[in-house]
Amino acid sequence: MAAPVCLEYRIEGNDFMVAGAASNNIKNTLKMLGISSSVCTRVAIIAYEAEINLVIHGGGGVLKAEITEDRVKLTAEDEGPGIADIEKAMTEGFSTATEYAREMGFGAGMGLPNIKKNSDEFNIESEVGKGTRLYSTVFFNKQ
Amino acid sequence: MTIGEICGFLGGEVQCTGDPGREITGAIAGDLLSFIMGAAKEGSLWITIQAHLNVAAVAVLKDLPLIIIASGRRAPDDLTERCASENIAVLSVPQSMYEVCAELARRGLNG
Ligand SMILES: Nc1ncnc2c1ncn2[C@@H]1O[C@H](COP(=O)(O)OP(=O)(O)O)[C@@H](O)[C@H]1O
Ligand SMILES: [Mg+2]
Repeated sequence: MAAPVCLEYRIEGNDFMVAGAASNNIKNTLKMLGISSSVCTRVAIIAYEAEINLVIHGGGGVLKAEITEDRVKLTAEDEGPGIADIEKAMTEGFSTATEYAREMGFGAGMGLPNIKKNSDEFNIESEVGKGTRLYSTVFFNKQ
Repeated sequence: MTIGEICGFLGGEVQCTGDPGREITGAIAGDLLSFIMGAAKEGSLWITIQAHLNVAAVAVLKDLPLIIIASGRRAPDDLTERCASENIAVLSVPQSMYEVCAELARRGLNG
């Protein structure tokens, strides 16, 4: 792969129904580049959970995928309400999703744990009232 | 067993045919999208009572070729259209999730 591939998607807030399109695009791009299917699946999980969080918690934001020779680096950024207690947010089962979102099957409180589990490198920064920035890197040749 | 065989013995309504000859290699049941995202194995069928567009998003991302919508719920048009374009089969059945699981297990499909 010569030049890095950069994908960037504007994700609208509160529009549950479009969620998944950007993640699918990222997954298909990796597939086309010949990346192994297990890596594609891990990236799909991370991208989808990040995308959903932008929609249901972040009030919308930007999802980016930067693909280079040996890895993909995902960034999800929003200017939403932020997270007061990141450690709590990372706990499996913790969720502040609305009743409506839960009825639709969101709000299991497994998104951030799923993202971390599937990442080789993971970081999340947030400031209440300012927004949230999530980073995740997956290497292609690491099992 | 194949998608076509499964649709045949479960009955109900095939809302999207998908690839009837495709072999199903496992099964998962649940309504929490993040749980399915994390736990489903590629090539499995998915039994749920969720019937909205994000079900297709999860099935596409995890390569789940058959969605079984249980308890008499039906997929809305936007969901069947999305599944048709992704070649995912959708079967809606009157049986509960438990009854579908029991029937599949009796026929020898393991999770
Ligand atoms: N982008 C975000 N902006 C604000 N809060 C967030 C964001 N992402 C996650 N959170 C908070 O972290 C919690 C846990 O997130 P997650 O593990 O994805 O579970 P869920 O989305 O099912 O609630 C959320 O319920 C929410 O309170
Ligand atoms: Mg989430």
